[in-house]
Amino acid sequence: MNRLLGPLIGLALYLGIVPLLIHGSSYWLTVFINISLLAFTSLGVWLTFYIGRINIAQGAFALIGGYAVAVLTTLHGWPFWLALPMAGLVAGLVGGVVGSTILRLRGVYFAMLTLCLTEATRLLALNWTGVTQGASGIIGIPTPFGGDSSYLQAYFFSALLLLAGLLAIWRITQCRMGRVFRALQAHEDLAASIGINVAQYRVLAFSIACAFGGLGGAVLTVFLQSIYPTSFNVTNSTDFMLYCFLGGLQFVLGPAVGALVLFLGFQLLSALGSYQALVYAILMVLAMLLLPNGLLSLRFSVRQKSMREGQV
Amino acid sequence: MGLAPTYLGSVMSQIIVNGLMLSATYALIALGITLIFAIMNVMNFAHGQMYVLGGFMVYYTYGVWHWPFALSLLVAALVVAAVGLILERFFFRSVLRRSRREESTMLLAVGTALLLDSLALALFGEKQRGVPDVVSGVYHLAGAYIPARRLLIFAIAAVLTTAFIVFINYTRPGRALRAIAQDRETAALQGVDVTRYSALGFGLGAALSGLAGGLLISTDAINSGAGNLISIKAFIMIMIGGAGVVSGAIAGALVLAFSEAIGYYFIPGSLPYLLILTGLIVFLLFRPQGIMGRRWG
Amino acid sequence: MSLASKPHLSLHNLSVYYDTVRAIEGVGLKANRGEIIALIGSNGAGKTTTLRAITGLVKPTFGEIWYEDQRINGLPPHRIAELGIRMVPEGRRIFPLMSVHDNLLMGAFLRRNQAEIRQDIERICARFPRLAERMKQAAGTLSGGEQQMVAMSRALMARPKLLLLDEPSLGLAPMVVREIARAIQAVNREDGVTVVLVEQNSRMALRLSSQAYVLETGKIALAGASAELQTNDRIRRLYLGISDESEPLTL
Repeated sequence: MNRLLGPLIGLALYLGIVPLLIHGSSYWLTVFINISLLAFTSLGVWLTFYIGRINIAQGAFALIGGYAVAVLTTLHGWPFWLALPMAGLVAGLVGGVVGSTILRLRGVYFAMLTLCLTEATRLLALNWTGVTQGASGIIGIPTPFGGDSSYLQAYFFSALLLLAGLLAIWRITQCRMGRVFRALQAHEDLAASIGINVAQYRVLAFSIACAFGGLGGAVLTVFLQSIYPTSFNVTNSTDFMLYCFLGGLQFVLGPAVGALVLFLGFQLLSALGSYQALVYAILMVLAMLLLPNGLLSLRFSVRQKSMREGQV
Repeated sequence: MGLAPTYLGSVMSQIIVNGLMLSATYALIALGITLIFAIMNVMNFAHGQMYVLGGFMVYYTYGVWHWPFALSLLVAALVVAAVGLILERFFFRSVLRRSRREESTMLLAVGTALLLDSLALALFGEKQRGVPDVVSGVYHLAGAYIPARRLLIFAIAAVLTTAFIVFINYTRPGRALRAIAQDRETAALQGVDVTRYSALGFGLGAALSGLAGGLLISTDAINSGAGNLISIKAFIMIMIGGAGVVSGAIAGALVLAFSEAIGYYFIPGSLPYLLILTGLIVFLLFRPQGIMGRRWG
Repeated sequence: MSLASKPHLSLHNLSVYYDTVRAIEGVGLKANRGEIIALIGSNGAGKTTTLRAITGLVKPTFGEIWYEDQRINGLPPHRIAELGIRMVPEGRRIFPLMSVHDNLLMGAFLRRNQAEIRQDIERICARFPRLAERMKQAAGTLSGGEQQMVAMSRALMARPKLLLLDEPSLGLAPMVVREIARAIQAVNREDGVTVVLVEQNSRMALRLSSQAYVLETGKIALAGASAELQTNDRIRRLYLGISDESEPLTL
């Protein structure tokens, strides 16, 4: 119970205090909506880390989810609440099909190929004009959040989505499937030798990860009410990965903390003008050098040490 | 239809010329990233950013300050090599020493790419930059047009590629680098200062990328955001050829350059790269280790 | 202490821990100039760790390593190599994608005199005629015995003063083992190289060496003149696991 206390307090703060503190400033609500959705999307990348793969394709699946929801709502008149799960499903299915082939690669090779996949998806969106309308993108996507409190609605929706995502991933790590995934991360060949259908579990994990990407991308797209081939690109893909890494790969909360600190940090540096990106990048690389196990390792370092060494 | 054979012939020779011209510079990019990978086991995600840096060095020294082209190439190589050495010394060396997971070095490489990207943006701005022709004129060969500037770039790149291959295969430091790539510990037992030679390898790999950028800016323009795209090209090449193998880098460069030459000749826009990337995924299904590569774990 | 009695290599109370796991503890041994000493013991007894400590590949946790009047523990491997120490590692560890010739040149990495290097390659061709035919071949494509010859020749190309051999007979046919044993003796007698021979094949090691040390779970269990260890039945059974009908090998 003690272990849950910290996250619960954090959650209460996030759902209760944050909106009070920023009392309706649409700028800050937008920032936190982004943080929630980026963290949710990064959870998928975290899950791929969990099976021992470095995934730089999440931008691609966010783009797929974004286009899915855009096409379904604007061109086919689907309601958002139906189109959203469909976007996740589409991304998950595409992830399953693609994953069943590329997951045979490991290490940097998988990483390189997923990076290429992000670029390939952008080019597909650019060239498949019949569906995506090419470079001009799809605009005027209807939003379910209306009225005076539309930002607040979106804030709570994103926060609850993130909460659901965290719970889902946490559940996965606690059950049998999670044990199998951990086995894949540590010893793929060993896992295969004791009769685990490695390929099937890998594809399952990757599909779930891609569905997270699709859902996150879909909500972001609806919130921005537009999507272009460059809406989610290679930079986004690497960002998702860096959130996980800087938060801490050992912790389910890692991507959420990483997204919070990095995205918030980037906004706070905006006073630096054209040096914003540079200072941000320097700070991030410094954090990588000084905290190789992520930000959460500061808090949990003593308690988790023995556990971690037992696992990894 | 009497013209058809000559027309076809000239199309063919134009494609061959374009592919060949491009392949020599691409080989420099691929050799650089494959060298760093072989020596350090680091996939250099900042390889494209190093290319961009080299390109801008030539833009300023040759394009703006009108230094001799050869000198600005040299400066580009040295500056980018220095950047590589700094990154190796202060970023990768310590992380490689203490980390047990492959992820740490790779993520650091990604972070480095982001850092160099923002550095380039802060230093060089957003504008697309090119330089005046180093030589002018156009040659005709078997119905193909060969601009003199492209021919010059090809010649320099081909000489550099050859020099690199000779260096790696027939010189004492080249042998040491190959030994480190094959068995780091045993190389140290032969008296090779592995730390120093790793730094040399990293610097050299970076310099090759910088040289490629310096060469291609004189035929194609460059901008500070081009890094990721070049890195993707580098990845495609070493995935086709097989990472860590010199012959694989050359093979990858040839395949990519000719695919581009064919694709851009017949299809305008960004479609060729979509086809190339799709082709790559299909190719890796059948040969995950690339053309020349050894099987990987 | 007179100069003559000063050992070429000596280990004093050497301990190596990997994290908290003990590999060797309190190991002491010495080898005089021009001597062959044997280090024997079963798998995991700490033989390889001892050699890796001498070559600088692992840092000793406690203890000292002295070689030719200087303390060498703490030096990086390439500095130790510069002092004339070479190891033929366990499992040969040749550079598989390099030609045999390039492997030999790597052995001579620290030498500058090209004429002498060429001469030494010719000498090696004379010593191992089978390598002479395969100079241009990738070393990884050779047979196990040939690879062991490459590994040994690579070490000899450095003109070492101290040669450390880690299980040179492992996995080789008896005939090849005899060839390797002859080469070890020749190097020791003709060039005056001090040799530390690590072996599970204790019969061969005891035959070649003058002094022997028996390692057991990281500690020296027994030390003495090799001839004595070889003839003392009780010691042989207790520490060396030799019964008279096993070990068909004779040199």
